[in-house]
Amino acid sequence: MSREITITAFKYNPSDKNSKPTFAEYKLTETPGMTLYIALTKIKATIDHDLSSDFVCRAGICGACGMIINGKPRLACKTLTSEFKDGKIELLPLPTFKLIKDLSVDTGSWMKNMSIRVQSWIEAHEQTDITKIEKRVEPEVAQEVFELDRCIECGLCVAACSTAIMRKDFVGAVGLNRVARFQIDPHDKRTDSDFYEIIGDDEGIFGCMSLLACEDHCPKNLPLQSKIAYMRRKMVKA
Amino acid sequence: MKIKYTEALIIGGGLAGLRSAIATTKRGLDTIVLSLVPVKRSHSAAAQGGMQASLANSVMGEGDNEDVHFADTVKGSDWGCDQEVVRMFVQTAPKAIRELASWGVPWTRIKGGNREVVINTKRTTITEKDEAHGLINARDFGGTKKWRTCYTADATGHTMLYAVANEAMRLGVVIEDKKEAISLITENNQCYGAIVRDLKTGELTAYVAKGTLIATGGYGRIYKQSTNATICKGTGHAIALEAGAYLANMEAVQFHPTPIVPSGILLTEGCRGDGGVLRDKDGYRFMPDYEPEKKDLASRDVVSRRMLEHIRKGKGVKSPYGEHLWLDISILGREHIEKNLRDVQDISKTFNGIDPADEGEKGWMPVLPMQHYSMGGIRVTPKGESVNIKGLFACGEAACWDLHGFNRLGGNSVSETVVAGMIIGEYFADFCSRNDIIIGTTVVEDELKRQDDYINYLLSLNGGEKIYDIKDRMRTIMQEKVGIFRNGKDLDDAVKELSELLEKTKHITVSNKCRLLNPELEEAYKVPMMLKVALCVAKGARERKESRGAHYREDYLKRDDKNWLNKTITYWKNPDDLEPSIKYEPLDIMKMEMPPAFRGYGRKGQIIENPLSKKRQQEIDRIKAEHKGDRFELQEKLMPYNLPNGYKDRNERLGVGYE
Amino acid sequence: MVIDCLMLRDNIVESILGKTTQKRKSRIPAKLDFLQSATGLILSIFITLHLLFEASIIFGKDSMYAITKMFELDFFIEGGSPIFVSILAFIIFAIFILHALLAIRKFPRSYREYLRLRTHAELMRHSDTNLWIIQITTGFILLFLGSIHLYTMLTQPANIGPFASSDRVYSDMFWPLYLMLLISVVLHAGAGVYRLIIKWGWFDGKKPKENRLKNRKIVKIVTVIYLIIGLFSLITYIKIGYEHQNSYGERYKVTSK
Repeated sequence: MSREITITAFKYNPSDKNSKPTFAEYKLTETPGMTLYIALTKIKATIDHDLSSDFVCRAGICGACGMIINGKPRLACKTLTSEFKDGKIELLPLPTFKLIKDLSVDTGSWMKNMSIRVQSWIEAHEQTDITKIEKRVEPEVAQEVFELDRCIECGLCVAACSTAIMRKDFVGAVGLNRVARFQIDPHDKRTDSDFYEIIGDDEGIFGCMSLLACEDHCPKNLPLQSKIAYMRRKMVKA
Repeated sequence: MKIKYTEALIIGGGLAGLRSAIATTKRGLDTIVLSLVPVKRSHSAAAQGGMQASLANSVMGEGDNEDVHFADTVKGSDWGCDQEVVRMFVQTAPKAIRELASWGVPWTRIKGGNREVVINTKRTTITEKDEAHGLINARDFGGTKKWRTCYTADATGHTMLYAVANEAMRLGVVIEDKKEAISLITENNQCYGAIVRDLKTGELTAYVAKGTLIATGGYGRIYKQSTNATICKGTGHAIALEAGAYLANMEAVQFHPTPIVPSGILLTEGCRGDGGVLRDKDGYRFMPDYEPEKKDLASRDVVSRRMLEHIRKGKGVKSPYGEHLWLDISILGREHIEKNLRDVQDISKTFNGIDPADEGEKGWMPVLPMQHYSMGGIRVTPKGESVNIKGLFACGEAACWDLHGFNRLGGNSVSETVVAGMIIGEYFADFCSRNDIIIGTTVVEDELKRQDDYINYLLSLNGGEKIYDIKDRMRTIMQEKVGIFRNGKDLDDAVKELSELLEKTKHITVSNKCRLLNPELEEAYKVPMMLKVALCVAKGARERKESRGAHYREDYLKRDDKNWLNKTITYWKNPDDLEPSIKYEPLDIMKMEMPPAFRGYGRKGQIIENPLSKKRQQEIDRIKAEHKGDRFELQEKLMPYNLPNGYKDRNERLGVGYE
Repeated sequence: MVIDCLMLRDNIVESILGKTTQKRKSRIPAKLDFLQSATGLILSIFITLHLLFEASIIFGKDSMYAITKMFELDFFIEGGSPIFVSILAFIIFAIFILHALLAIRKFPRSYREYLRLRTHAELMRHSDTNLWIIQITTGFILLFLGSIHLYTMLTQPANIGPFASSDRVYSDMFWPLYLMLLISVVLHAGAGVYRLIIKWGWFDGKKPKENRLKNRKIVKIVTVIYLIIGLFSLITYIKIGYEHQNSYGERYKVTSK
């Protein structure tokens, strides 16, 4: 039943002067239901103590473990090894993000900068009295906001994006989706013209070429295609 | 030597840490939040089902208020909690949820009119009032009298974490991620910050602060099978322990009934809250036989034990990963699942290839109780300050505040993170405003040097033991001997072997000698920390000779209010000790608003009563009989408590106003 | 001079701050994005009609001649005048250049950008990304071939007709150019129209994911049909040109009335 699989991983430690970029190969026995999280944990504990990668929730919720898996940006924890019929899996760090070491990249700083840049928060322009009954929100509107709020900032959309690959300053689908999320939130009092100030340039909405690799690789199946188009229509009129 | 100064230092960037940071920042304090991972990846994000707060908007929550929430929580804790803290919590929770709504949490809202729900496996129509249209909805959760758990589908923790992190960024809180605190800086039993390792460079820096708050979550990863994220290693507890702080009730470990087998990923209690049921190998719904009243929705400790009890009767489903039971949500219908339990469906499809919306057996998901939550933690006062180290605060899962006692209700922990962040954040801000940094730089430099030397020492060890093997063994011991069913012999073995393992960590060899970005080195300093925490759990469990909440001793089946109505305090006397020291902090029945009694679920007739319980009850009955005035004044008479920042103000509710 | 100076000052402020003197973001990028799409759409519509008119040759020399004359506005001026073709070519050329200018902003502009894009596309093997690689490649080709063609039409508008065109195609050795131009322009327009649909969410409807696949399919089919039509007419021109090589330069006269 169990077969041997080969995992190839990119290895490089930028903080070590003697380190050279290499591709390390690991052979291990596949177990039923094995995910890349399980496989890499096993490699780290038994074959190569020096291999670095990021895992937190290992359930596809936190977005920490994005990497390039056989060419595609994916979450490693949600990828089953059984999916690869030839038993060969090649792992690379996500592009566009700063490499920390091996498969570990600094998505955190990127996302923090993005959040601050798109002002990823509610601007209510008023104080809420929290002893009072909350403001009413139409159930459908709350649901729609939630749909966009499901983004986990894993960075796969950025790693899949041709604009982001070429242009370091592009805000990415994650940023555009975030703006759309606040644009439709009834708690947020910003106007379209305010949002134009945030994403109304070639590093923002007008840098997007609509290649939809973001939509096609989003592990949360966010409606990026329609929401980016929506924001573009709004911004052209803003 | 690098030294950074700040006013408020917060270790841990989950909901509790971030909410506290908002409190201190709003008070104008220079605040730094340190986090192991980018804060939005914190384990708070994994809370799925919801947050308890007695809003009473839904028709199924009608009549709910702070008093009902209080009673549910105290019963859930099996009377192990601090009732004063529970009061503080239930009074603030509705404010917390309304604050979160204003920060953008897209709570699922009520639609006025009829809606179909599944109650007791039957489709039932309930009618929501038109006045409630657009207000925050709630679902049913275990151990609660009312439908009180507010939610955003099954990604509640995620949306809360994002809203709070976003608000923190709006206020300009300084968040430094990929930073790990490896020791606290203390002098004369006062804490002045921490020594911090940068996980991107391996560099050590001393963060010196007026006050330090630990909000590092739980310690589930000391168990082999846990729903916790890989970062929940209890290192926050360990640095407090090493600094001399008291940890309390570490043996109170919750096992969640429904993680999926074998990956151990949690399937929310919302599955059962929304009407899903547990089934055995024959497809039989067994919980009503054990718990006729609450059925599948008794408290987590009870359901988990009943499940294992049922498996022991030979009713488990055999699989390559051992025996398990089924969780059936297919009866809720595809539409409901794809809207409200989407992540559950995604997890089940991805990891097990099962679509839970498929009708009948095909959609059943294999589940088994696994470690889920740490009720124990750094022992703090109701203000959140360590009982024995000044200037050290803790909140959230890392703390034993103590809201949960020996069992936590579903939906109360994610609620606690934010509520404790609000309350303790204020008290923490008070402390930081009133105190100065009066510590010499030499003390700071000494501690920095000590940690620096320690890392060199670890790299110099050459005993041949492997740190990964030690860790693996520890997790197996905890799983097998300090699990759901506990007994004296196993616990004794566990303590002994864990001590031996701790000794063994001094004889390891770290194969890679690099000081920077070396995952093996990180294991080398973390595993001894985890072992210390594990020892507190195992020893606390060995010494507690009763069954209470999640702590269940097969050799002491009864809850013993006469001898064990207290908190276990574990602490590390000398750095070289291989076991924690232990003592107890009694709970005062005569100050309780609700003296110990039967919980209303679980096994009956299993209580060794304390005579004071009856006495206090009579006293309460007398006060109630004599009382004239509203419920708030009565409560004040029974058990007065304080809250900062207007959090004690009354909460408005639909139909009843501020009553 | 004064006005110029003020404008220059405005530009100075914007290039330093990235914001206008009113401390707001310039609306120019929005206009550019819109114009890129608008020019693309106009050119696509033009090319769909152009290919159809040109394909009239398949139905015989007469029908092609009639259409040629129609473009010379023979219903308006007796006998028609090629100057109108020149004017049309000029307008299209202008739109074409504007479109190229706008679209070129998106191209990789350094070795590293090019390398990263290529590696990325090769690794990911993602349909829409590959489609875009086709689009920039064909766009680049069009920049040259399209210019040659448009310049020819601009300067020699009279040389359009069943024989004149065929002579150019065959005897003047334009057919390799036209073959490449045809393939490039059809693919470029097809990919471009699909991109426009996505970009502005025109047919997203209630199910954007499914409609995207549907739209892609429709655009693909139309593209293939146009390629076939284009190839057929090109072959027809080659055939006529081959047969007509000995009478090179002779103009077509309508035979049947």
